[in-house]
Amino acid sequence: MLISRKWLSQYMDISDLDMQTIATKITDAGLEVEGIHLRSQGTKLIIGEVIDCVDHPNSDHLHVCQVNLGQRVEQIVCGAPNVAAGQKVIVAQVGAQLPGGEIKAGVIRGEASNGMICSLLELGVDPHSLSEESKNGIEVLAQDAPVGHEDPLGYLGLDDEILDVGLTPNRSDCMAAWAMALEVGAILNRPVHLPDCEGAAKQYHRSASLRLTSETAKCPLFMGKVIHHVVVQESPKWMQERLAAAGVKSINNVVDISNIVMLETGQPMHFYDKDALPSMEITVKDHLNGVYTALDGVEYEIREDDIMITNQGKPIGIAGIMGGNDSKIEMNTTAIVLEAAIFDHVSIRNTARRLNLNTDASIRYQRGIEPMATYKAMDRAVALLCEYAQAADLEETVVYGDANYVPYSMKVTLDGINHLLGTDFTMTEVMDVCERLHLQPVQSDNEIELQIPSYRQDLRIEADIAEEVIRILGYDRLASTLPTMPATMGTLDQRQQMRRRVRDCLRYSGYQEAITYTLISQDLLGDAIMPLLEPIALAAPMSEERSMIRTSILPSLLGSVAYNQNRAMKDVAFFELSSVYAKGHMEERLAIAASGFLQKSRWQKIEIKDDFYSLKGILEALLARLGFEGKRIQIKENTLDTKAFHPYQSACLYLGKELAGIFGTIHPQMAKRYGVSDEVVMAELNLEVLLHNKAAKVKFAATSKYPSVNQDLAFVVDEQLPVGAIVSCIEKHGKLGKEQVIEQIEVFDVYRGAHVEQGYQSIALSITFRSTTHTLSEQEISTLREAILSALENELHAQLRA
Amino acid sequence: MKNLNEWKETAVQAIKDCHNNAELNQLRVLYLGKKGPIQEIMKSMKELAKEERAELGALVNEVKQELSTLLEERRSVLEEQEIAARLKQERLDITLSGYQPQIGNLHPLMLVQQELEDVFVSLGYCVAEGPEVECDLYNFERANIPKDHPARDMQDTFFINVEELLRTHTTAVQMRQLEQYHKEGKEIIKVICPGKVYRRDDDDATHSHQFMQCEGLVVGHDIRLSDLKGTLLFLAKKMFGEERVIRFRPSYFQFTEPSVEVDVSCHICGGKGCSVCKGTGWIEILGAGMVHPNVLRMAGFDPKQCSGFAFGVGIERIAMLKYGIDDIRAFYTNDLRFLKTFKRFE
Repeated sequence: MLISRKWLSQYMDISDLDMQTIATKITDAGLEVEGIHLRSQGTKLIIGEVIDCVDHPNSDHLHVCQVNLGQRVEQIVCGAPNVAAGQKVIVAQVGAQLPGGEIKAGVIRGEASNGMICSLLELGVDPHSLSEESKNGIEVLAQDAPVGHEDPLGYLGLDDEILDVGLTPNRSDCMAAWAMALEVGAILNRPVHLPDCEGAAKQYHRSASLRLTSETAKCPLFMGKVIHHVVVQESPKWMQERLAAAGVKSINNVVDISNIVMLETGQPMHFYDKDALPSMEITVKDHLNGVYTALDGVEYEIREDDIMITNQGKPIGIAGIMGGNDSKIEMNTTAIVLEAAIFDHVSIRNTARRLNLNTDASIRYQRGIEPMATYKAMDRAVALLCEYAQAADLEETVVYGDANYVPYSMKVTLDGINHLLGTDFTMTEVMDVCERLHLQPVQSDNEIELQIPSYRQDLRIEADIAEEVIRILGYDRLASTLPTMPATMGTLDQRQQMRRRVRDCLRYSGYQEAITYTLISQDLLGDAIMPLLEPIALAAPMSEERSMIRTSILPSLLGSVAYNQNRAMKDVAFFELSSVYAKGHMEERLAIAASGFLQKSRWQKIEIKDDFYSLKGILEALLARLGFEGKRIQIKENTLDTKAFHPYQSACLYLGKELAGIFGTIHPQMAKRYGVSDEVVMAELNLEVLLHNKAAKVKFAATSKYPSVNQDLAFVVDEQLPVGAIVSCIEKHGKLGKEQVIEQIEVFDVYRGAHVEQGYQSIALSITFRSTTHTLSEQEISTLREAILSALENELHAQLRA
Repeated sequence: MKNLNEWKETAVQAIKDCHNNAELNQLRVLYLGKKGPIQEIMKSMKELAKEERAELGALVNEVKQELSTLLEERRSVLEEQEIAARLKQERLDITLSGYQPQIGNLHPLMLVQQELEDVFVSLGYCVAEGPEVECDLYNFERANIPKDHPARDMQDTFFINVEELLRTHTTAVQMRQLEQYHKEGKEIIKVICPGKVYRRDDDDATHSHQFMQCEGLVVGHDIRLSDLKGTLLFLAKKMFGEERVIRFRPSYFQFTEPSVEVDVSCHICGGKGCSVCKGTGWIEILGAGMVHPNVLRMAGFDPKQCSGFAFGVGIERIAMLKYGIDDIRAFYTNDLRFLKTFKRFE
């Protein structure tokens, strides 16, 4: 909302306040001033007269002018095509500060130039408010302009300052200058005098010939009035100035009146050339289809939902947005039809958006118009037309429908307000605020009865009034306290704690947390790991790339791996925690994707590669820390997803019998599609499985005080035999009576090649024996060893290596 | 006698000239050993007279003692020298790099989220979450955003169908919490609700179709607007430093009344005015207000019996301010060079 100083000054005295002060005060009270613009700018300006103008000898477009500045004559080189001798012009003297910089004395192609003849654009005037003529050349003043006058901007009425006020949705009433003035008056605490034209629309000289109807529920109120005589001419200067300050171009007095009334009251109006309408009948309709040429000469496609103003079944305007070309006011118009109506704001919004037509009118309709605005606008328009367009021979005003306005009154209490705010405002202060806001307060004891003005539709409950009180009295009056309530214990729940543990465990193992987008393409969805049934699609996505809600994290995370690998970052280790969704289902997941080295210090030869085994180890370590280890964790061959994973370098991870996740090396085809190295290892885990299974508790077992015995053994076995089978077999035979005395089995070498037969491999392992009850004897160890060796030989055909 | 002295002189000189412990051991054997001159003299003493024997014995013992001491002193010196030589051999180049274990970082948005969680948990709040795929009821209806409000428009919200959508704010979680607490008959609510939210915006330096919020909700008897101010002042000090102050400016949200924008005094310039606060000395960090009576009523609470406040911060906004990040897209690109910045404990 733009409102200028001169506009406000029409209604109240603000001569003692500068604009910055006003801006600060109204911002503090909730109307945020987003900027203060000067309608024009420039120092050391003066009105001059071009007494001589000749072509520049060394240029095909410049002119050398002698300009009389009253006290002296200066030579000025001017490039404007329209400069001519005899003109009264605005001259920026040497040293003048203009928006484009400082004016300096100089020599232009051999001719001295001491100043500049200005166009309004060069003085910072908004081009929207300028005619083509004004935009294309220097400003030529009226012949009676006083030469030597040192305030040409004031002379032109351009010495105005404009506030650009951002309005919150509840204060769209301030889109109307009158309501804005009342608001500013309340904030500044000074009286406001608005033009009084109440009842002006009631005057008429003939009965109504106009018939108004609506065939749609989207038009609750329509007022019309025929005026048989108007004189179309140039608008008065004040009106042109006000419009320009609001960024609206002046057309002629009649069109300008419709615009100024809209700016003053917030009610859009439309005036038709009466003689362009075939009959005195207007019907509001929807359910029309076709192409319609509006006032701007553009053809718009009209659909069923759009509200149209029609005459004899033919559209004469897009309701609330733009009138028609055929019936617009021309210089030769002599009779007009006035329209002021209320249209459904949702419908206007949809139409305006679809047609990309955000006009001053449509914006006001969308934000909502106060219920009495239509009546106020009609009164004001008739008054202005009578005063400035010689309106005569008026018909009686025709009204279709009703604004359905019910005056609203309410009661608030001083205690209620102070209680909600935590303040100790006095009755006098609260009453004063209500007076300033024109709420007509009547006090009885602790209670105040209020009459809410029609334009304050946002004031309905005590909390609304409390807000008015504190914003007017100032938020600096609000103390800082803490809630007084029974103590509560703040906690993270089990899920939130687990997340933090997962994050900490992984990051201290060298993985970096990533966050990727939830919305993905159909393609990525197709690569989901452990995909959920019935993925969710957006109804109206912004792009195919972001059209589906992901059911798996890994495809997005691979995108981040590719991003970094493409930028020469080879060691990438990411994890991400996120919920994934499908119809009626959500679950939380963990994804890991890594490539390169997880740990390294090359000259020290410390290298931990991101491979199947480092990933497997991290997952096992993580699960152990979360309370899941030993036999509860099963790592099985991956038969579920051999499209995303390398079929022979991946595994499924089960917690008990429940699938918790899949991990392993990426499938080379998948790697290719995602543009990542085919050495990427990755995992996706369903954290819900961990959450609904019971985690083991920490339980202390006394350490044995007896010494351990180590035995290193090496076997030759079929290379297809999993090492896990050998380890299980040894464990099975590691009992002495009922006690398991094998403390640890460490595989320290797996070897194929020379000295080992083709198709076989050598496994070297170290077994640690220890009992909690006694020192193991040589005899016992030897018995165990024999039992293990024969079991390995019989069950797994393992041959002890010599 | 002369013999003994001559011999001693030779031994002393030999010990002094000895330069390693192996040779020194040989000298020990040579002079003090069983076949050494001491033993020789001792043997020959039998032939001497008793007095002479005693005199010579004392003398020999003295020499023996002297040589032993000399040997020990020399041994000690040589050992020192040998250790010193070995240590010198073992000299390391301390400029070579050490093994720094790779430690990953939390994502900066998570750092901020956890910091917020910790501040509020310390104040007795619980952390509540809800689904990102949300229904109209909790996202809009219960938040006092009626059917024809522009915020519900297709332009701003990712709808899935008429009923479901991707939540546009974590206010939806607050609405679920209100209902839940009411069902459980609890009269006091203190929760914060962090999480991802979605808006139909084109991604650019300041907009992201996905971002994170953390909202807070307190409901109880006699909760006042001043309590909101005190709580947010505490938050501002924890997040941006003890010297911070805050101010309220009137604003508007559907689900609160009164509604305020909250500014914190600039943590960069301390309020003097700089490029971060655009010369104002203040930075807008969040929106807040007193829970609208309609919102309480819709969840089953009686607004005459209780009141509450709510606030919401943009996690990206806080992270951008704290760390001086100027492009919101950086949070979702996952460039390691960016992510590795956030390694310090703060």
